[in-house]
Amino acid sequence: MTLLSVEDLHTHFISRDLDNQIRTARALNGVSFSLDAGRILGLVGETGAGKSLTATSIMGLLRPPARVVGGRALFEGRDLLAMPEAEINALRGRDMALVVQSPKSSLDPLSRIGDQLIRIHRAHRKASERQARERAVQMLASLGIPDPSRRMQAWPHELSGGMAQRVLIALALMNEPRLLIADEPTTGLDVTVQAQILDLLRDLVRRTGIGAIIITHDLGVVAHYCDEMAVMYAGTIVESGPVRQVFAHPAHPYTANLIGATPERLKLGGARTVGGPPPNLFRLPEGCAYRDRCPQAGADCATSPPDVALGAGHIARCHRVAA
Amino acid sequence: MAGLLARRIILVVPLLAVILLFTFLLVRISGGDPVGLLAGPTATTEEIALVRASLALDQPIWVQFGVYMGKVLQGDLGNSWLSNRPVLAEILDRAPATIELMFWGVLIGAGIGIPAGLRAAFRPDGSFDQTTRFLSLLGFSVPTYWLGLIMLFVFFYLLGWAPPGMGRIDLFLTPPDRITGSYLIDGLLAADWEAAGSAFSQLVLPVLCVAIISAAPIIKQTRAIALEVLASDYIRYARAQGLPHGQIRAMALRNSMTPVVTFIGTEITGLVGTTSLIEYVFAWGGLGQYGLSAIIAGDFAVVQGYVLVLALFSVLVFLAVDVFVMLTEPRAGATP
Repeated sequence: MTLLSVEDLHTHFISRDLDNQIRTARALNGVSFSLDAGRILGLVGETGAGKSLTATSIMGLLRPPARVVGGRALFEGRDLLAMPEAEINALRGRDMALVVQSPKSSLDPLSRIGDQLIRIHRAHRKASERQARERAVQMLASLGIPDPSRRMQAWPHELSGGMAQRVLIALALMNEPRLLIADEPTTGLDVTVQAQILDLLRDLVRRTGIGAIIITHDLGVVAHYCDEMAVMYAGTIVESGPVRQVFAHPAHPYTANLIGATPERLKLGGARTVGGPPPNLFRLPEGCAYRDRCPQAGADCATSPPDVALGAGHIARCHRVAA
Repeated sequence: MAGLLARRIILVVPLLAVILLFTFLLVRISGGDPVGLLAGPTATTEEIALVRASLALDQPIWVQFGVYMGKVLQGDLGNSWLSNRPVLAEILDRAPATIELMFWGVLIGAGIGIPAGLRAAFRPDGSFDQTTRFLSLLGFSVPTYWLGLIMLFVFFYLLGWAPPGMGRIDLFLTPPDRITGSYLIDGLLAADWEAAGSAFSQLVLPVLCVAIISAAPIIKQTRAIALEVLASDYIRYARAQGLPHGQIRAMALRNSMTPVVTFIGTEITGLVGTTSLIEYVFAWGGLGQYGLSAIIAGDFAVVQGYVLVLALFSVLVFLAVDVFVMLTEPRAGATP
C-alpha cells in the first residue's frame, strides 16, 4: 500500500539580491518517489542535493524565502502541499513525525523531557496528564532508556547526544505516526550509538508496519538499514530502486560514482571517482545537471534526460541508460 | 540551590570592598584640597594643620583608606560640606524619590517594550515592526532633558493637563507621613487622597520620560532576542511536532526571558544617569539631582557617598538578575 507518493516536487528559494533583481535558486527540480507502509527508504546525496529540503517541503515546514512552486505530495491520498496550515499542523507530530540531526538543540531547553513528551501527546490526542505520563514512561523504556521514570525529570542539557536522539525518537513516536522521516538521525553520534539508533528504527518499522524515510549521506547506512533507496543530485532523484539492485547495478553514472567513492571500494583500488563542485542552483544548466561532472556526457545530455525503468522498480534518469 | 545562592551573595562582599577603594581613590585623584575650604580664608597655618589632622589627612593614604572604610561600615559617610548634615541621612531622604521614579518608569518601559518587541519579532518587517522600529529609533535619539522640557511645554504650558514640574507634590500640600517614602503610596496608605492625587499627577510626566527612554532599547533588544529564539532549532522542531501556535509562542517567550531580563538589569544601572537629568528638569529632588549638584559644587563627601550608593544599587540589581536567572534557567544549575 502506498503511504506517501511525491510527484514532481519543485521548491525554489526566491529572494532579491542587492540590485533588487529577483534571484531564484531552483533547489528541488521535480522530485518524485513513493514509499509503501512497512518499508524504509534511504534518501542519499551530497550536501545541498536537497534531501532535507525534500523532507521539510513535504511536511510543510518551509520558511521564506523557500517555497514549494509545484508538485504534489500525497500522504494516504491527501495532498500535503495543498492543505491549509492548520490541517497539516494537526498531522505533524501525530500521523507523520520528523527526527532531526541536532537532537540536543532541538529540545526545548526550559522543559523537562517528560513534560515535552506529555506536551506533544496532549497536543494531538485526548489524554489525561496521567495517561500521557504513563505512555511517555513506556515509550522511553521501549527505546532502551534506563530508569525511564527518573529520566522524565531530566533537563535536555543533561542528556548525552545519543540519549537526546532517543528522546527525539520517543517524541516522534508518542502519537504512533504512520510516517517517520529521520533526517540524518545519527550524524554526530559515535559509531556504536549510531548502530543502536538505526537498529531501533529498523525494528520499529518491522514491528509496527509504519513507513520510514532515512535521510543520510552515508551509503553504509542505506545498504544496512534500507529497503529502497533514492539518490538525489541537484534537486532531482537521479536513480531509485531496491537497495540490493541499485548497489549491484548502479545505472546512473552519479550513483556509480557515489558507490565507487565509499571507503571500502576505494580501498579495493578498482574504482575511479570524479569529484567536482555541485552545480550552482541559481544557474542550473539545461538538460542533465550532472553533465559537467559526468565522464560519459555527450551532446544529447543538454536535453532533459528521461526516466528509464529498469525493472523491479529500478529507475534511472539518464540518457546513457538502456532499458 | 541555597548553596549557589549563598555563594552568589557572598560574592557581593569583595565587590563592595573594591567599590569602596574606587570611590576613595576617585576623590583623592580628583585633586582639590578641602582643608582650606573648611578652615576658612582667615585660618592660620596652625589651624589648617589642626583641621588636616582632625580629618586624618596628615596620615599615609592607606591609613586614610582604613579610616574611610571603618566609617563607611559604621554607616558614616561624612557630612556634606555645604549643608553640614550627614550624607547618609540626606541620601536616605532623597532615595525614595529616585526609586519611585525609576521603578514606575522601568516597569512601564518594560511593560511596553517586552510585548512590543515580541510582537515585532513574530512578524518581522510587518507594519507593527516597522512602526515600533521607527518609534524606538526616535526614543533612542531624543535627548533626555529635551524630552522633559518638551513634555512640560506641551502638557503643562500648552494643554494645561499636567502640573508644573516643581517637585513631587503640590507646593501648598504637606507631604503625607513617611512610611515608604513614596508620596503616592504613603498618601494612599494614610487615606490622604488629595496628597496621593497630587503626587500621582506630579509623577506622570517624569515617569513617562523614563518609560519612553527605557522602552526604546528594551523593544530593540527583545525583538532581536526573540528573533534569535524563533530561528532556533527547538522552535523549528516544535513546529515539526505540530504543537499549537500559542504553545510555540509561549515557548519562545519563556526562552527569551533570561536574556531580556539580563538586558533590563544592565539598562537600569545605566538609566541612573538619565534619571538624574529628568530629576533636574522636573525639580524632583531625588538622588540624581543631589549627586549632580554635589559634583558641580565640589562637595566631595556627597560625591563619594553618591557614587557608593549608585555602585551598591548596581550590585543589588545584578544580584536580583542573577537570582532570577538561577530560578528560571535550568542550565544555571540551581533548578532541582
